[in-house]
Amino acid sequence: MQKQYDIYIVGLGGQGVLTIGDLLAQAGLAKDIPVNFYPRKGMSQRGGFVQGQLRFGSSNVGASIPRKGADLVVSMERSEALKCAGYCKPGCDFLLYDDVWVTTDVIAKREKYPELDDVKAEIKTAGANLYCLSSEHLPVVNGVPARANMFILGALLSNTSLKELFTLDEIISALQNFMPKNLESNIAAVKAGYECALKAE
Amino acid sequence: MKRMMISGNEAVAYAALHAGAKVISGYPGTPSSEVIGSLMKKPPFEGTHIEWSTNEKVAIEVAATCAWAGKRALCTMKMSGLNVAYDSMIGIAHSGVIGGLVVYVADDPGTTSGMCEQDSRGFALMSDMVMLEPGSVAETYDMVKYAFDLSEKIQEPVFVRSVTVVAQSHAVVDVEDRTMPDPSVPVVKKDVNKYAKAGAAMCMAQHQNCIDNLKKGAEIIEKDGLNKLHLGKKGGIGIISVSSVKPYVEEGLNIAESMGWKREDVSTLEAICTIPFPDNEIRKLLEHCGTIVVAEELEPYMERQVCILAFQTGAKVRVVGKLDGTLSRIGAYNALNVAKGVMAAANLPFDESIMTAGDDVAAKSLPRPITTCAGCPHRGTYLAINKAIRNAKLKKDEVIVTGDIGCTILGMNPPFNTVWMEISMGASIPCAHGFYFAGVDKPIFATIGDSTFIHNGMPGLVNAVQHNTNITVIIMDNGWTAMTGMQVNPNTASEFQREGDVNVDLVELVQHMGVKHFYVTDPYDLDGMTAVLDECLTIKGLKVVIARRECAIQAGRRKVKYAKMHVDENLCINCNVCINTTGCSALIPGEKNVHIDPNACNGCSLCSQVCPKKAIIKEEI
Ligand SMILES: Cc1ncc(C[n+]2csc(CCOP(=O)(O)OP(=O)(O)O)c2C)c(N)n1
Ligand code: SF4
Repeated sequence: MQKQYDIYIVGLGGQGVLTIGDLLAQAGLAKDIPVNFYPRKGMSQRGGFVQGQLRFGSSNVGASIPRKGADLVVSMERSEALKCAGYCKPGCDFLLYDDVWVTTDVIAKREKYPELDDVKAEIKTAGANLYCLSSEHLPVVNGVPARANMFILGALLSNTSLKELFTLDEIISALQNFMPKNLESNIAAVKAGYECALKAE
Repeated sequence: MKRMMISGNEAVAYAALHAGAKVISGYPGTPSSEVIGSLMKKPPFEGTHIEWSTNEKVAIEVAATCAWAGKRALCTMKMSGLNVAYDSMIGIAHSGVIGGLVVYVADDPGTTSGMCEQDSRGFALMSDMVMLEPGSVAETYDMVKYAFDLSEKIQEPVFVRSVTVVAQSHAVVDVEDRTMPDPSVPVVKKDVNKYAKAGAAMCMAQHQNCIDNLKKGAEIIEKDGLNKLHLGKKGGIGIISVSSVKPYVEEGLNIAESMGWKREDVSTLEAICTIPFPDNEIRKLLEHCGTIVVAEELEPYMERQVCILAFQTGAKVRVVGKLDGTLSRIGAYNALNVAKGVMAAANLPFDESIMTAGDDVAAKSLPRPITTCAGCPHRGTYLAINKAIRNAKLKKDEVIVTGDIGCTILGMNPPFNTVWMEISMGASIPCAHGFYFAGVDKPIFATIGDSTFIHNGMPGLVNAVQHNTNITVIIMDNGWTAMTGMQVNPNTASEFQREGDVNVDLVELVQHMGVKHFYVTDPYDLDGMTAVLDECLTIKGLKVVIARRECAIQAGRRKVKYAKMHVDENLCINCNVCINTTGCSALIPGEKNVHIDPNACNGCSLCSQVCPKKAIIKEEI
């Protein structure tokens, strides 16, 4: 029997958070691993909070991961990462992609944007193994910066416990079957992410 | 048959196609919209009429009469929609049906979509209707098919109630082929005793019939073994779960174990529905268990029934749930709620802090008030209202602006802070009307979207026309039902209507409703729209303004070209007025000057209209 494996992933509308979820769910289907994928789009179109919960291992599983229950947590934005601390299972892997999306209130100095070190400290306090990536790591494919979500997916496959579930080839074949658009550059981005050797902070 | 990764809502659509539905009607609403939404993305299904109706009441009437004509029909809506449809729903239930009628309603515990958190099972209770409650995507598919058969067996409409986490989840389902709807010409039998209500005897006979049919439904469900009962340790703990809570039971027991509960063979009842109550199974549990945990989201409907049956049977059983204060009536559940119930049943302490773990950290994240998209035409309307209020030398907190459902409500947020309130679809106009007759002596605006106006705004406007209410109604006409994912509505332009449908133009519609002071304006033209509102504030009586401009997202999708904007670096003094006034996400702050993200800009030009230095310039197309 497949062990239960829960992924909690967040970001903002437009970052492609849910595409990562879709691809992993499809990879699960291809491999006959039962999965429930619960995307929460909310106001994604308007740059709002986006959240995806993937639960692998059982076809009789509720959609929501309990607090302190996720095996893998991913945040595609620095401030949004703070919303994930409660979901970290002690010892889980946490990938923080340090993208920064400010609001008008930050520009007008009515709000302060969280400091990277403070965010990292919170995640570590929650008991996670923290890995960090930033847009500086993003490769350029055919003159265009690669899609961050694909890059992150690659990095997850080589650096986190996700490697026990899927191989690089399985994800590439999910891309081929499920996302024919921009295939070449997406594969390149996944591979570039895969090549990144990250150290837990 | 095909193995597919589909959502709960798509499962409803596929199951209805497999069941041979002849009519599928509904009104959009999160979390239910993708049933019809997914069907409309595909080429037309010959033989099946699929429509977005003008509102849920219309939708249920359309579907019900299809079923009265002996054909299968599906009707879909969100929980708030059932409030609208209910006046007809109960009448249809009392009359019964011939062909299968399935009413799909999606509740939203935890209010992911920001409307009243309500438990629609209460409606099933009131109209004595079967309400099946699948707990997973695959079960949704099975239960919709089953509901059509059951509806025909008991000659009653059957609800399938989902919740957000099931309706929006994606999982693997073996999807069967479509069955063509029965092509025969229907013979509708005239039967006033069944289909009319004017008469006490017929009404009471219908009511009795409906109650009897629910009983038949309960018997069939029991015979089909849909309520799964497992009797474990005698005198031990029993757990009753329903809907989305069912799959959390095992996980909840594991968590309880990790918290120090000693595992025992727990008795379980996984109910397929609350209404009709699984009375026989509950009685067996009452006889067998010492403590029963009732794990259901929102209202304690099942739990009350357990208490009633315990009283009737004289069972000495402790019931753990909401009525004893253990579990919450608010929000969506997960496995922790089950664990909490088990710990309480076992008289063990439960560390409450895990339920809110991380909330303190999350509170440190940056607040992100939801605002309108870059290029949203509604932005121009909020700016024009704010400006007209200033022009009239009034303060913003003196001028009530009632709001309505949809993207149009986003004006309640910064930087606009224009809209004051919302209740339900169409309420904005009667609300303004009520404030006026309460004696409010400052100008009052009502704001409402085009779909909402057609849904339930029109009766309020006719009321205001009749009473010549001194208010200004602004219909924010973006041509689509935008907030719920860009559905077509009657006012959507002809070229986007489905084949055979025609456009009902809002301008003509309102003109013919007897409105004397009527304006059509463009929210992208800030001065022009403000001038219209300035004038409205000088006129007594009812004024209606249609602010017409297509939703920027839809316009973008079909590649409508607006000239993009750019900032002249020599003119920009970096005062950030553009950002602070419009809050548009395409405006990027910089060290020396603001610049515009060309990928985000939709070319509405509102920023250039508020820039005091005229530093934002239209590019050539
Ligand atoms: C009774 C009811 N049905 C459906 C909904 C779901 N709903 C929320 S916003 C919305 C769309 C409103 O469209 P429109 O008035 O055109 O405004 P827009 O979003 O396009 O600005 C709908 C249908 C609801 N809240 N209540
Ligand atoms: S979806 Fe359309 S109507 Fe809604 S906020 Fe965006 S642009 Fe405005």
